[in-house]
Amino acid sequence: MSETTPDHDPPRVNEQKLTPAELKKRAKAEKQARRAAQKDQKPEEEGPPPAAEPANGINGESKTPQKNSSAPQQQQQQQQKPKAEKQQKAQQQKPGKQGAQEAEPHHKRTGSQQMPLRRRPSQSGAQPKAPVKTKKDNKQVELFSHLYTQPRRHTIEGVSKDVHPAVLALGFQISSYEICGSSARCVAMLLAFKEAIQEYTTPVGTSLARHLTSHYLSPQIDFLKSCRPISESMGNAIRWLKKLIVEIDPSTPEQEAKDELCERIDTFIRERITVTDQAIAASACQQIKNGSVVLTYAKSSIVEKTILEAHAKGTQFRVIVVDSRPLLEGKRQATTLMHAGLEVEYVPFSGIPHAVKHATVVLLGAHSMLSNGCLQSRIGTAAVAMHATKRDIPVIVCCESVKFSGKVALDSIVLNEVAPAEELLLPSKPTPSRPAPKDSSEDEAEAKPKTLEDWKDIPHLQLLNLMYDVTPAEYVRMVICEYGSLPPSSVPVVHRLANEGM
Amino acid sequence: MPAATVGQTPSLTTFLKSLKTSSVESSIELLASLLKRRQIKNSRQCALATAQLLRRVVGAERIKDPQKLIDRIRDVGRRLVAAQPREMAVGNIVRRVLGVVREVVEEQLGDDGSGSSGPSTPTSPTSRAPKRPMISHTFSSFTPLSHGAAMPYDMHPRPGTPGSSSPSGVDRLADATAAARRPGLATSASYASIAPTNASLLSFLEHPLGRSPGATPPATSSPRMTPVQSSMELNKEKIDIKAEVIDGIKDLLDELEVVDSQIAESALDHIHSNETILTHTSSQTVQKFLATAARKRKFTVIHAEAYPNDHEATHATILNGGKKSTGDDDEVDDRWKPLTALGITVIMIPDTAVFALMSRINKVILAPHTVLANGSLLAAAGASTIALAAQAHRVPVVVLSGVYKLSPVYPFDTQELIEYGDPGKVVPFEEGEFMDKVDVVNPVYDWVDAELVSLYVTNLGGCAPSFLYRIVADHYRMEDVDLGAKSG
Repeated sequence: MSETTPDHDPPRVNEQKLTPAELKKRAKAEKQARRAAQKDQKPEEEGPPPAAEPANGINGESKTPQKNSSAPQQQQQQQQKPKAEKQQKAQQQKPGKQGAQEAEPHHKRTGSQQMPLRRRPSQSGAQPKAPVKTKKDNKQVELFSHLYTQPRRHTIEGVSKDVHPAVLALGFQISSYEICGSSARCVAMLLAFKEAIQEYTTPVGTSLARHLTSHYLSPQIDFLKSCRPISESMGNAIRWLKKLIVEIDPSTPEQEAKDELCERIDTFIRERITVTDQAIAASACQQIKNGSVVLTYAKSSIVEKTILEAHAKGTQFRVIVVDSRPLLEGKRQATTLMHAGLEVEYVPFSGIPHAVKHATVVLLGAHSMLSNGCLQSRIGTAAVAMHATKRDIPVIVCCESVKFSGKVALDSIVLNEVAPAEELLLPSKPTPSRPAPKDSSEDEAEAKPKTLEDWKDIPHLQLLNLMYDVTPAEYVRMVICEYGSLPPSSVPVVHRLANEGM
Repeated sequence: MPAATVGQTPSLTTFLKSLKTSSVESSIELLASLLKRRQIKNSRQCALATAQLLRRVVGAERIKDPQKLIDRIRDVGRRLVAAQPREMAVGNIVRRVLGVVREVVEEQLGDDGSGSSGPSTPTSPTSRAPKRPMISHTFSSFTPLSHGAAMPYDMHPRPGTPGSSSPSGVDRLADATAAARRPGLATSASYASIAPTNASLLSFLEHPLGRSPGATPPATSSPRMTPVQSSMELNKEKIDIKAEVIDGIKDLLDELEVVDSQIAESALDHIHSNETILTHTSSQTVQKFLATAARKRKFTVIHAEAYPNDHEATHATILNGGKKSTGDDDEVDDRWKPLTALGITVIMIPDTAVFALMSRINKVILAPHTVLANGSLLAAAGASTIALAAQAHRVPVVVLSGVYKLSPVYPFDTQELIEYGDPGKVVPFEEGEFMDKVDVVNPVYDWVDAELVSLYVTNLGGCAPSFLYRIVADHYRMEDVDLGAKSG
């Protein structure tokens, strides 16, 4: 290859001064330098050199200048050439490259830059990245690594400009649990979409049916997803809405189409959620009889409605609300029931055995009913249902068909949502403040006790805050939906009828 | 109450300090009130306090008659148990001490019978160890008869059959258990949670004088000794008995101290590499057990926090490792590193997530509050959810319990065993209207049925729940068992 240099390499322009012999000599030195450089490289990482070799091979003759820049250090050490020559050579590179740009645009510079580039990311570039990653992973429970998608969005930063203000507001309400619960989120989403749709204008050259879903609704949905993973009911509603949009006749005037959509959304909310809730409540409150003790867990709007309706009918019964940390939704429910004048007992999660001892019926809300009959609901529901089943207390799930899902699950691990672990930290609210003074006095004696707030700094400590769990179908005696009361095995039938057959 | 608690929250530490200075009677009063006010709680602390108090009681007593000493201990025990019947460790320790007294008395007589009264002190530390196996093999002769919880405790020895032969002895036992059953129920009217057979034991706690002095083991029988000089040597015995009983109590205290290490010794027999272990609340025993295993093996611990009663202690345990809840403990300064410092991944979860995670858990390790005679247990609230979920997922449940937590109580009414705690921990009292109108309930303990437990690991080794009754018998019925079995 060295013999090719003189006749072929275009840098002639300034290399004219060098004799062929000198060139040869230099080429040899460069070759040595390159080898030395490769040798140095090898122990560190074996991948790139073989990769670099073929690249050189392709370039063939063009190797010389390439080497020049790739290993200038060794070159300087090894070369016993006069300084002047070196300078020349240094000079030769740049003009050479420039000159060669037209002749052989693909070789040398590109190649020579690639080499170090390739090396760096693998050596130093990867290193700073790795520790960061492991540190982060440390705090994520491996079993649930598939659920740690992105941290929930609480700021407006970086939001797509397409997101409608109503959807924006909704997103933050959802991520802060202000709007919580599958149906509530679904209704709120549809209402926000209604507003968004009204303000939508179809760009010229496309039709509403083709453009609305993919270019306008998608960013809204993505934004909502980034605030909190969307629930099954939201998914069903979105699917329904998309189908509806596609079916719009392209010839319909835009405003008419939008009005039509909004009207249909209203109907959907009314038919699938509002009226449905009333129907379910009316049906479920028949399960509450005089003297019943109703056990319920956390908060479900539909269970609340059922209990209030039974109370309004004049049935004499008692309610036990089981609640759990960190959301303490049950407390809100208990407060509502208390204000309605019901006899309420409030039990922490640890008191389930006590609660089921007295209960005669367990009413549960759902996040989603899965097609294999399993109930996906607030974490802890499965334990309540298990205790009740062990004591032969009927477990009744109240669930709108919009929450029925085609998915199946065997455990609570694959389908779930991981909430921010920070929610588990004890807030500085009155509850823990009583023991806190005692703690702190103790803590003074101890050198430096850590608190749970420091959990991120403690290696190997992880906090896990799941949102849902899956209650096996055998713990569910009956599902009440607007189609009637069913065994959990009939869930897929209703799902097909209600969510897919439409 | 005594003024020993000036300037400090009364606790085990202050009690132990005041024990050295105040009088016996006021110490008893103090412990009873501390128990009542729940300022000493948890089995370990109760056991320690009781043992220390009894040491003081025995030390202060002038022993003329061993029976008097037994009566005195029973009396103290009764007061303490009445102060806090749900801290069963108190009763357990009282029974153990009573057992020590009886044993010492027997030993004494045996020694006298064999010749000298001198070697009494050296024999006492060893006496308990060799005795146990002996009892258990005499026991084996009647295990077939003792089904379930009906243990062959011959608490009502028949006067007519002191020297009967082996078969008749067995018959007698059967009779006795049958007989004990009915009076047991009668006495358990005040103590409804106590097994009929066990009630007889408690009944002698309750009615110390109900038992004739003639029924004391030394006087009636001990086949090894010839009961000739029982009363003649009383004066000589007096000091020896006291010293030995105190030695015996010291042994008991030693046992309380080493119980965790003893349990931890078997950690490697139960934990293999790379498994996922679920545990609950903060327990020194469990933490030491896991730490021992962590030295050799790597595994993952999932720790449920036991809200709302123990979650702060749990957090402290996870974060800082062992520090006694009493702070500066002068006697046992139990400190150990948190598991995370040993390279063990600890995942803290709220109790609600137990069912969701159970399918990925290899073992559940629980620490009980009390273990009952039939193999069921009381543990911090939430334990029954864990045990049930474990059963639903076929996950083995291992219970780590020192023998001092083993109680001869039989759970007839599990409801009665459960203590209800401060509702303010669930909902702060600041929320007046809520607290006013809503019935807030905060159970502190859960009862877990024996069938949910796969294995007990005690400081004597591992055993099935169905075997526990024998360990109970070994520890609390010695002289009575001896009475029945000695004829053989």
